[in-house]
Amino acid sequence: MIGFILADIRRHKGGTIAILLLVAFAVALAVSVTLQERALRLGSARAANAFDLVIGAAGSETQLVLSSVFLQPAPLPLMEGAVLQRLAADPRVAFAAPIGFGDSFAGYPLVGTSTALVAHLSPQLQEGVGLRQEGNAVIGSAVDLSMGAVIKPMHGTAEEGAHTHTGLAYAVVGRMKPTGTPWDRAILVPIQAVWELHGMGHDKAEHEEAGHEEAGHAEAGHAGGEHEHSADATAPINEDWAEHSAGVPAVLVKPKTIADAYKLRQEYRSGTTLAVFPGEVLTRLYATLGDAKILLMAVAIGTQVLIAAALLLVTIMHVGQRRRQIGALRAFGASRTVVFRIVWLQLFAISLAGILLGFGLGYLVSDVIGGIVSRQNGFTMPVAFARGDLAFAAFVTAFAAVLAVVPAVLAYRQSPAAALKG
Amino acid sequence: MLSLTLKDIAVSYAGLAAPVLSVPALQFAAGENVAVTGASGSGKSTFVNVVSGLEHVREGRIDWSGTDLVRLAEHRRDHWRAEHVGLVMQDFHLFPGLSALDNVLLPARLASAASSAVKRRARDLLAGTGLERPGQSVETMSRGEMQRVAIARALVRAPGIVIADEPTASLDEESGQVIADLLIGLAGAAGATLIVVSHDPALISRLPRRITLERGQISHDSKAAVI
Repeated sequence: MIGFILADIRRHKGGTIAILLLVAFAVALAVSVTLQERALRLGSARAANAFDLVIGAAGSETQLVLSSVFLQPAPLPLMEGAVLQRLAADPRVAFAAPIGFGDSFAGYPLVGTSTALVAHLSPQLQEGVGLRQEGNAVIGSAVDLSMGAVIKPMHGTAEEGAHTHTGLAYAVVGRMKPTGTPWDRAILVPIQAVWELHGMGHDKAEHEEAGHEEAGHAEAGHAGGEHEHSADATAPINEDWAEHSAGVPAVLVKPKTIADAYKLRQEYRSGTTLAVFPGEVLTRLYATLGDAKILLMAVAIGTQVLIAAALLLVTIMHVGQRRRQIGALRAFGASRTVVFRIVWLQLFAISLAGILLGFGLGYLVSDVIGGIVSRQNGFTMPVAFARGDLAFAAFVTAFAAVLAVVPAVLAYRQSPAAALKG
Repeated sequence: MLSLTLKDIAVSYAGLAAPVLSVPALQFAAGENVAVTGASGSGKSTFVNVVSGLEHVREGRIDWSGTDLVRLAEHRRDHWRAEHVGLVMQDFHLFPGLSALDNVLLPARLASAASSAVKRRARDLLAGTGLERPGQSVETMSRGEMQRVAIARALVRAPGIVIADEPTASLDEESGQVIADLLIGLAGAAGATLIVVSHDPALISRLPRRITLERGQISHDSKAAVI
């Protein structure tokens, strides 16, 4: 029977391959939608993992998360330096790290922060040392710069027609281990240097001009050029925020306990500040994404139904064309059940091969897309099958098995005598 | 070796006034060689379908040595036919993509009856028909060679009945003669009852008993004439 089926498949190579590919593409579409959505969810959840609580100036929660966790450039309002001071002194806080963005270099976001965040993201560095002086920079694992490279920060991003800061050039002193987050593409520099470069939060005795309107400016809204400030690259880092701190767009807070986290969020959610659990904000985002996934799945399933219908038509025609052959099989003594099994098995085997190919193809496509996203945004898209996919595979397989029954029944009911007359 | 008794057989189709086949009584002895002739549309094909159990008849008797096909359900008839009937048809019905040997063995395989004895017999039969390459793909064969494969296939399970429907009609004279020799020779060697439906005078003349059908009825039976 198998030999007979194989001979028939060999004889109808073109049609068989066409059916196989149709099934494979339909399955691959649904599989890649599922895998992509899952990869995005897992990947972003992992990216948010290091960020327990983020506090920023009152505004959009989503924007705060996108800017701090995913380092998406956007003009964020600044919080007063006092907020950072208060957080740093709070006994419920393990550490509070300022996150100042707005500058970039060679397409990589430049983030002003503290040594605590470097240690938090990469407890051990891949190479080099941590931040010690204002002119130091620690780069993410995916930043294509070598140790000692000179970084001239650019205000804003190149696409926005930014200008280059001339007041300070950083030198790369260390590289973090891969974190699988957008921070792998970040260049971390001391926030102190960022402040000074933007003329904020200076020691008043040293820099007379520091007091003016700059303190309130929004990072990317800075219409560059008129005030260039400089900083001393060799000045040691001072992370005693109580002593000197200026406005920052966001502060990453590592609370000591979960209870502390909730209390802190409660406290900083009023008035001029906004406190968010990035995980929570992402969950809300996924709810929206989920709707899009349902739509995409509906399209994928619709495609599958159309292809199933086309397949049915093709196979019924194929059985019609094989009337004489099937009749002959019966005439030579093959029972109706054998004929049923031949037709069913042949179609089911082709469909099953298509389904397997489709899963492989879907995985491959998702992996390629995931790779592109990783390269562009720095965060890893973990493309992986889950238990739920097994149910989908079982369902599609069962559907193919049921579909194959239709032509098999047609063949089963065919009279051998009538078939031979034609 | 089986004998046939037909009694009160009538096959009609909806929309046709006269039955396409009507045989009140007919007997073939076991091992008899019979030619069935008649103009096209005379009921020859129906006759083949009826005696081979391909066409289900609800009344009368189609008794092959005690097995009445009228009273067998479809799957029992399939089973019986696989075991007792070897069919040879005008256009061979060989399956492309399979070798000569695989074609000969196909019915046995589909009935899960391809024992090593059957396989040996398949090789012997193919050799007996003069085909030297059992592994040759059937698409590459001449029509005469194809019909030889079909004859080997019909005989591979040593059936008690061999039914040939116009076995030489699509062959040239020379091939036709070879096929006639093989059919009569191998069926005789196997001791099978041979029923040949044919227009071919050369083939008909070699069969001792001749039945002529006309509009579904037996108009002439050489045996009855003798009796």
